[in-house]
Amino acid sequence: MTSRAGLGGSLGTAARTANSLPFLVPRYDCDRRPARSRVAILPVTEYSEKLSDVLWKGLELFNPSVTGKSVLLKPNLVDYVPGAAINTHPLLIVAAAECFRRLGAKRVTVAEGPGHQRDTQLVLRATALEQHLKEQRIRFVDLNRDDVVKVRLRAGYSRLKHLWLPRTALEADFIVSMPKVKTHHWSGVTLSMKNMFGVVPGVKYGWPKNLLHWRGIQQSIVDLAATVPIHFVIADAIVCMEGNGPLTGTARRLDRIVLSDDPVAADATCARLMGLVPERVHHITETAKFLGNMLFDRIEQLAAAVVPPRASFETLPEFEHLCSNYRAEV
Amino acid sequence: MTPRASSAKTGRMDTLLNRLHASLDARRLPCGGWPFLRGSIQMALEPTCLALMALRLDRTANAQVLLNAQCPDGSWGSFAADDEASGLTGLALLTLNALGMFQCAATRAADWLLDAKGREANWPWNWKFRITDTHVRFDPDKFGWPWEPAGCSWVVPTAFALLGLKQSFPCCRKGKIANRIQRGADMLQDRACPKGGWNAGNGVVYGTRMAPHVDATAIALLALRTEPKSRLIHRSLRWLEYQAGSCPAAWSLAWSILALDAYDLPVLPLQRRLVNVVEPHETCDAATLAVVALALDCTVASNPFEVVA
Repeated sequence: MTSRAGLGGSLGTAARTANSLPFLVPRYDCDRRPARSRVAILPVTEYSEKLSDVLWKGLELFNPSVTGKSVLLKPNLVDYVPGAAINTHPLLIVAAAECFRRLGAKRVTVAEGPGHQRDTQLVLRATALEQHLKEQRIRFVDLNRDDVVKVRLRAGYSRLKHLWLPRTALEADFIVSMPKVKTHHWSGVTLSMKNMFGVVPGVKYGWPKNLLHWRGIQQSIVDLAATVPIHFVIADAIVCMEGNGPLTGTARRLDRIVLSDDPVAADATCARLMGLVPERVHHITETAKFLGNMLFDRIEQLAAAVVPPRASFETLPEFEHLCSNYRAEV
Repeated sequence: MTPRASSAKTGRMDTLLNRLHASLDARRLPCGGWPFLRGSIQMALEPTCLALMALRLDRTANAQVLLNAQCPDGSWGSFAADDEASGLTGLALLTLNALGMFQCAATRAADWLLDAKGREANWPWNWKFRITDTHVRFDPDKFGWPWEPAGCSWVVPTAFALLGLKQSFPCCRKGKIANRIQRGADMLQDRACPKGGWNAGNGVVYGTRMAPHVDATAIALLALRTEPKSRLIHRSLRWLEYQAGSCPAAWSLAWSILALDAYDLPVLPLQRRLVNVVEPHETCDAATLAVVALALDCTVASNPFEVVA
């Protein structure tokens, strides 16, 4: 090993240590972890009308109690770049709405506040989601422009005491986070908990929601996950993104959707499916202390087993340490 | 097209304009402002400003809601109950300019804008962006205005601030005013995408070129209207013209029309397209209705986003 490589490795280790400092002291209100969490990894090779059947069978494994409840589906719609695997696929969103209606939900709403694109209608139209929602008579709420309420955060890692959050999200009985499984150039991965950045309203915090970046992305993810409860996860891991995500990475197939009743378990499982180590992702390890379960023995796999890929998802150099085959040059 | 067919098309535009005005009137809150979404009850700054300009009626009475919402420091919050300065304070100033006759409030707003700046303008952050935080390509000496206090500069707040200030100080700009406007214009040109156009804030991140956005490009071009014509402006205009030709969304298409009109480019075909893209009773967002109304009559009435050299 050259002295330059050694210096680079040491600097990288020092940077990672610095990034973990905000998590040395617990800053959450109470331990809300379930004794065990459930995850279902469902093989799916294409986006088609059949998704509804696959999803229905998957949801039957959980039998979520949504009768008479208002269900909010929170997909990941960031921007529209033709041909790029950026957003949760419209067919998966519509399939989820259909399934929750069949399960007896009083109302199903799709809601999102795109983090990068101010013209939400452009994203909806260009991705054809608007047409699907119209056909199925599913209501959409732009969370960037919804009425907002000042809410006290239930964790204090970002040192933000309050956030203004959209009324539609706060009033929903049952929130389903529907992330697109991607690597992310600031947070390493973007999964069900990072997806909740979309509830932070652009009308207050702008496009992108830069305040959360300044307060620490990992810290903000934890605070938000602690404050806006995710009751269920349906992750779009059919066509994912690796490399310079969340916008300009490369498409990578996993051919799966991942369901879970625990966002921490969902994100830990998705990370493993990407060939990444969830124990090295700060927001997953921290939320595993009080919100959900990350460890194998606390997660019941209801369908397929977790099989990591032969090659980990590519990440930017800053996040190489997340890969399962990473060895520090020290 | 025959004159008769052309007049039929214009008639459709007039009909839509009337429906847009009626829809905006119906969504007005008792306080005199507008919320973003249909059924909402919270006044928001952006739809209120755009609707006030779109309705162009009874200026003195209409402006009262804006005057009431102005913070003591001259800025505006993003919505009722928001006590922090918004990145859309420039839009509020621009609205006061369009409505006229509110010199005191406009002066306070302009003073606030002259002092406000993005975080990168402060030396510790300036150095951070120069030395350690270099993944996003930009020159921190060229700063504009942030979305919220203590944030970095972003394209849309900077463009609105520039429009407001340029309209407030149309000529004989000297000293602080001239410097601040120049810095803002430099920031916009620095943050452009490599092939022209603008997105939320940066053209290159981690060495990758970012794609421009139609609305941000249009608003940035409006703000740069009086700057010397450069290759960047020329390329951005060409990109915007091309995108507007197929843009499926009312908000972005309307902003494109307002920008192209300000550059004296033909917009009638785009206005005709806009008629087919928007349906008032299906459009939840009052800001979109208002900007569409402004785009439909900008050639007949006036374009409130125009600045003169």
